[in-house]
Amino acid sequence: MKTKGTITAPELVATRTRPSKELFRTLFYSSPIGTYIVQNGRFLLVNHQLARISGYNDDELIGKSSLNLVLAEDRNAVRDNAVRMLKGERSHGYEFRMVTKRASLKWVMETVAPVFYRRKRATLGHLIDITERKQVEEMLKQTTLEMQRSNAELEQFAYVISHDLQEPLRMVSSYTQLLAQRYGDKLDADADEFIAYAVDGAERMQALLHDLLEYSRVGTRGKPFSWVNCKDAVDKAVANLQIAIQESGASMTYDVLPTVMGDEGQLVRLFQNLIGNAVKFRRDDPPRVRISAQRRYNKVAFSVQDNGIGIEPAHSQSIFEIFRRLHTREEYPGTGMGLAICKKIVERHGGHISVQSKPGEGSTFRFTLAVAGDEAT
Amino acid sequence: MKSQVTGRSLDVLLVDDSPGDMRLIVEALKDGRTQVRLHIARDGLDAIAFLRRRGKHVDAPRPNLVLLDLHMPRMDGLQVLAEIKEDMELKHIPVVILSGSEDAESIVKTYNLHANCYVTKPVDLAQFTAVVRFIGDFWLTAATLPMEER
Repeated sequence: MKTKGTITAPELVATRTRPSKELFRTLFYSSPIGTYIVQNGRFLLVNHQLARISGYNDDELIGKSSLNLVLAEDRNAVRDNAVRMLKGERSHGYEFRMVTKRASLKWVMETVAPVFYRRKRATLGHLIDITERKQVEEMLKQTTLEMQRSNAELEQFAYVISHDLQEPLRMVSSYTQLLAQRYGDKLDADADEFIAYAVDGAERMQALLHDLLEYSRVGTRGKPFSWVNCKDAVDKAVANLQIAIQESGASMTYDVLPTVMGDEGQLVRLFQNLIGNAVKFRRDDPPRVRISAQRRYNKVAFSVQDNGIGIEPAHSQSIFEIFRRLHTREEYPGTGMGLAICKKIVERHGGHISVQSKPGEGSTFRFTLAVAGDEAT
Repeated sequence: MKSQVTGRSLDVLLVDDSPGDMRLIVEALKDGRTQVRLHIARDGLDAIAFLRRRGKHVDAPRPNLVLLDLHMPRMDGLQVLAEIKEDMELKHIPVVILSGSEDAESIVKTYNLHANCYVTKPVDLAQFTAVVRFIGDFWLTAATLPMEER
């Protein structure tokens, strides 16, 4: 076709350049795309591919109203889309459900163009079968919805159990304490020890439930994202940790920190847990904590580096799991939820958290946050 | 004119479905500075009946303070609070929410319904006792309340 390097509109093909009948026939009938010409709303010419898609044979299609192939509910939309496209509006085509001869539905995508055929106005149409793609899309949508639903249900479940288990637990601990308070002097040393274990157990369970509740709240009670100045977030985290920082003689340094999109309360918690760990898991010398941030495209990579006891590389994944502890409570107290909460917060912000460490030399926790954009959940 | 509440018997309505909690509150108030007569309602309906002097509560005194739990069967604390604060005859009575929950949403809801304050029941017994006594002392002794005709 002499088109001088530009793609020629079908209208021009049919009217000006006048390809030979032979070329037209070949293009039309051998196309792997369902192709047809409609005049006065009825099929005038159809190719085999259209017949294959629709399940009708060529003869059955000729003379049939083209809208007859369109599912009744989709007809108005198809008519509107076709009119707009025939008027020259640019479009990649429109989708609708075709009713095949066997009365089954197929998703198709169609484009139309105005042409002259035998000196009369007509419509040249192309359509392809996109049923498989639609089915995959639908499955993906269903799966995603199902996953969101089950995730939300799980979070709600964790929230409700951790919340509702606190009440009976409070009874256990209160009455054990009341027992000790009122009858402590009437009991022997064994009884005192038993009571102490019961109270300690109830208190630990209380702490576990408290942190589990906080963990579930990251997803269920998160605030909408807004601009958060990370320096403010770190300052607040440091203020919350003031006593631990002073007692340990820790020194903190941080880079110029950027403003990110996020949930401020959660970002404070994130920095607080990481700095808190850096101070808690220290060696004999005073802890040094360094926070830096580097922008990479639309993300900011943060690092929180310490000179503490470090973590065996074998544990570098598992420490982010809930209730994961690497030490006895006598060595380091805690519920083992801190880093799990960090991970959940980072992931809600569309980022990723990891650790690099050499035992005895310190750890570097790295995480990414989005500079701009919507909530990632 | 100021009312003088000291020197007369003070009535506190405790609304809580948990016998364990109720006993802890009774124990805490027993040895406190403020002497109170504690009335107990086991759920929201019973509390409203007491406040409106219905049924077996015909002779009920008007309480000087309501201690209200949130999670209760039949009629929960939020509903009781809403009823009290919409009732011209009851709305002046201070209502202190004593709840096991720290749920931010519940806290906002109760204050929006004009709760006088929200207190989370402490886990530690000593703190629990101290908080309950403090509530009694504050609302029944330190705070000046409107005169109540009986």
